[in-house]
Amino acid sequence: MLSLTIDFARRFARNRAALVGFALVILVIGVALAAPWLFPRNPLRIVGKPEIWPFVSSRYPLGTDSLGRDIAAMIAYGARTTLLIGVCASLTATIIGISVGATAAYFGGWVDELLMRFTELFQTIPNLIFVLTIVAILGQKIEYVTIAVGIVTWTPIARLTRAEFMSLRDREFVQACRAMGMGNLRIMFGEILPNALPPVIVLSSLVIAGAVLFESAVSFLGLGDPNVSSWGRLIGDGRTLIRSSWYICAVPGLAIMLTVLALNLVGDGLNDALNPKLRDR
Amino acid sequence: MSLLSVLSLCVQYQTTQGTVRAVDDVSFELNAGETVGLVGESGCGKSTLGKAVMRLVPTCDGLVILDGQDISHMQSRALKDARKTMQMIFQDPYGSLNPRHNVGTIVGQPLSVAGWSRRDIRDRVTELLEKVGLPKEAVKRYPHEFSGGQRQRLGIARALALSPKVIICDEPVSALDVSVRAQVINLLEDLQQSTGVAYLFISHDLSVVEHISDRLIVMYLGRVVESGRSEDVWRQPAHPYTQALLAAAPVADPRLARRRVKSILQGELPSPLNPPPGCSFNTRCPYAQERCRQERPMLRPVNDGRKVACHYDLLEHPALPLVDAAQ
Repeated sequence: MLSLTIDFARRFARNRAALVGFALVILVIGVALAAPWLFPRNPLRIVGKPEIWPFVSSRYPLGTDSLGRDIAAMIAYGARTTLLIGVCASLTATIIGISVGATAAYFGGWVDELLMRFTELFQTIPNLIFVLTIVAILGQKIEYVTIAVGIVTWTPIARLTRAEFMSLRDREFVQACRAMGMGNLRIMFGEILPNALPPVIVLSSLVIAGAVLFESAVSFLGLGDPNVSSWGRLIGDGRTLIRSSWYICAVPGLAIMLTVLALNLVGDGLNDALNPKLRDR
Repeated sequence: MSLLSVLSLCVQYQTTQGTVRAVDDVSFELNAGETVGLVGESGCGKSTLGKAVMRLVPTCDGLVILDGQDISHMQSRALKDARKTMQMIFQDPYGSLNPRHNVGTIVGQPLSVAGWSRRDIRDRVTELLEKVGLPKEAVKRYPHEFSGGQRQRLGIARALALSPKVIICDEPVSALDVSVRAQVINLLEDLQQSTGVAYLFISHDLSVVEHISDRLIVMYLGRVVESGRSEDVWRQPAHPYTQALLAAAPVADPRLARRRVKSILQGELPSPLNPPPGCSFNTRCPYAQERCRQERPMLRPVNDGRKVACHYDLLEHPALPLVDAAQ
């Protein structure tokens, strides 16, 4: 297994764009982890004069917003919120998606029919409106936003898992397991899933990027958690001053853009490294 | 009482174009320690029969009696116990081993499902690898590190893990090189000598089947057309389909080959969706008469253990009037 891991790392590293993306993701994670040390006090507190432009004051390298809060501190803490929601939402979506897709494909027949119609039901509802509805019903808390984003993004994962399982479930090694009397759950998750996982991992990494965007959109619309700093909220707060102090929107906007871009680059890199059909081209 | 009895087994598939009877009213017996060869061309239902006996595909009628127990109507829990008595070797040595598991896990899997302890599994796997002629260092390696023949040995080791009494071999050598084929067949024969396991050996390769089988079953379009002791069938085929099959098999001696009467089969295998009325072989049979198009021949005993599904006794009167194929 170690040789396989090294092999995988070598293939991943061969892709320059993926490496850049990976470095950016590491940077964002680093900033998020270091936030309490870099800015020990509450990021939402007012620290100085409002609307100091970036690179003007050495105390506030990214300037201050309309209330005089430190943008750098809010970006650093916002990275925590954004990444946490992104990763947890993607995890939620992956767990739901794999369970639904695997069950549908493995058992087939009416189970498949039922679960796939259920999936389609979710697909027909516009995602953002669905997220807003769930948050409006459950309440404006970071956990609920995570769950809401997870609930709207699992459908492509379910479809992909189903397709992978369909092609694997009639393979001879699965029949061999059935012939030795192995239970359905063990066959599904111990035998088929490890083989179906690589493309699902790629999709999950892309779902993180999507979740970051959803979170930003929810916060921008003022439905995010009011007690935590978030990039989307920063843009939302700054939008009234976009003609004069456009940097208040631009700085978190840039952070979102770079993070999503980095996650997509990593996703593509994973796809190339995990997809055996593209190997050694 | 034989070890494995299959009584008028049927397997149906629903397709968009209708129902296919992949296996239709097949009965046979397998005794302890013997090898029964199951032959027929592609699509005749021999693999489906093997899988139906293993309960890997649902049957619609008939009984499978293994060691005195009817397993065809067993629930999954009881079936799990019965499965220890019967195992399977698969055709594709690349597809039958999970690429994500190492050899130790793959070969030990039946044992772990049967609830053996980790230490016992390790010892047994080492023993099994030795039995099939692989080094015990192979335990830590992955299937992609082995050749086709070695992988098939792994498949055999896995099938042997629980010391079954019956192994269904579903074309175990047809995906292998000719040179490796002989090794694997010899291995199967050696294992039979040492463990007394019985094989149902499914193959379309007559030379392989002739070599290994004690008895032969010939299938055509989901039905048995002839069965009997291997050498009898080989020497004197009683069904026109068997005759044609044997005529198509390669012969090592070119002088013998030249002397042989060539009766190459005309036409294609009819669609199993829409089998011909009467004898299912009548569309390609050189001896077909009006009766063959009307009435389906029963599988009837001819002499000592021989059974043939043909209206005519080709053993007694081999010179039936040949019908022009165009007619």
